[in-house]
Amino acid sequence: MPLYCSVFEDETKLDINYIPSKLLHRESETRFLQEFFSFLLRTPEKMAQRVILTGDVGTGKTVLSQRFGIDITREARQREINLHYIHVNCREYRGSLFLILQHLVSVFHPNFPKRGYSAEELLSIILQILDEQNAYLLLALDEFDSFIEREGSEAVYKLSRLQEARIGKSQRVSLICILKNIAAIERLDASTRSTLQSNVIRLENYSKQQLVDILNSRAALAFKPLAVPEDTISLIADLALCENGNARFGIELLWRAGKYADGENLDSVIPECVRKAVSSIYSLMQKSDLTRLNTHEKLFLLGIARFFKENEKAYATLAEVEQAYAIVCEEFNTKPHTHTQLWKYLQTLSAIGIVKKSVSGTGSRGRSSLIYLPRISANELEKELTSMLEKEDAQ
Amino acid sequence: MPNSPLQIEDIFSSKLRVKILKILWQLCEVNVSEIARRLRVNHKTTIEHLKLLEAEGIIQHKTFGRIRLYRFNEASPKTKAIQRFLEAWELAEKGQK
Repeated sequence: MPLYCSVFEDETKLDINYIPSKLLHRESETRFLQEFFSFLLRTPEKMAQRVILTGDVGTGKTVLSQRFGIDITREARQREINLHYIHVNCREYRGSLFLILQHLVSVFHPNFPKRGYSAEELLSIILQILDEQNAYLLLALDEFDSFIEREGSEAVYKLSRLQEARIGKSQRVSLICILKNIAAIERLDASTRSTLQSNVIRLENYSKQQLVDILNSRAALAFKPLAVPEDTISLIADLALCENGNARFGIELLWRAGKYADGENLDSVIPECVRKAVSSIYSLMQKSDLTRLNTHEKLFLLGIARFFKENEKAYATLAEVEQAYAIVCEEFNTKPHTHTQLWKYLQTLSAIGIVKKSVSGTGSRGRSSLIYLPRISANELEKELTSMLEKEDAQ
Repeated sequence: MPNSPLQIEDIFSSKLRVKILKILWQLCEVNVSEIARRLRVNHKTTIEHLKLLEAEGIIQHKTFGRIRLYRFNEASPKTKAIQRFLEAWELAEKGQK
């Protein structure tokens, strides 16, 4: 028997830096990028382009740009075009033009001295390097907001209009500016804005089904076969949906849940692993949220916690938690409240965010509400509520 | 600057020149100030040795504004011989350890 068993096949496939060979649900955005930069594969010397990629956290901006960068440089190499894609996270360089340019030079000359020149000199050094090597640069400036914040209009203008002082020479530098909020561009002066704003690709937030597809494809690469049940994926997708369709959050949660499964020596990633994982990501639910609940709300919530503790399920129907609640009431010698009352409690718990509701999809009869715990493990919740209710009972 | 090519003993007779060759072997490409810093000698002395090696075709430089980056001249057979020697020496040192 092996000493160490893991649900993972290759957990690096869930790493934040992993770039999938194909991006799901970003086909049209990829096509836009291909269209905007198609000249790089035909007549790269004749023009330069500037494109803005924008969208919420976890909508795939960075990975889209990186995937595109890898693909276009490969294609360029086949056509004997010396194209370099360089991805820079502006925040890592404190949004400083000087530090970003210094990094660019170091890609070509790793031992280039770190001091002794200005940003303007660095810009002309980069162009000299590209001219000498007959190379083209597709520069992706990720977290572009921090660059705008630190450097303002002048630096952006310099970067986006590099070519204007080089009349008659080949165009060398194209830009992909990646930012969460397009409103950051509004801070720039009118002429700088006009150089940037023409090509904007907006990445919409992922839907639940899209998140399920993404998580399934990563799970297939990262985990052993059948190690991640459908329910688990669906729960993670729901949680990622609550975070504005943040796929990165979902992927990280999947990895963390896998670690909890390994920690408990399980052969699959059950929904409770997800709940434990999510409660480790978020700060633990505030106790005050629980103390504000009335006794029957607590009893009802305890019923929900017990249900999830005893069943390896991600979702419960109202009927199922009602049954669990009835047993809890028996335990605490209390008469259970009616179905209508419980529905109200569910609304309260959902409004606080302790439980969440999701509508059942196809496959079940009609459309009913499914209940799940978004931010806390059933075990922890049960412990907390039991001790509170026992104290109330003693009083 | 002598007109006739330097003999091998002329090149290796200077501790600083050997150190420069080692630095270039390790770092591939370095600017003058960094070489001077590593040699712990002044800029002028460093430049003198670099010019001598460059005149022999062993190294070459590229200028970026005020920055001069030196590297081996890969096209020179003498450079190849020196690189092979440094590599063999490094391997021998590792073997001894």
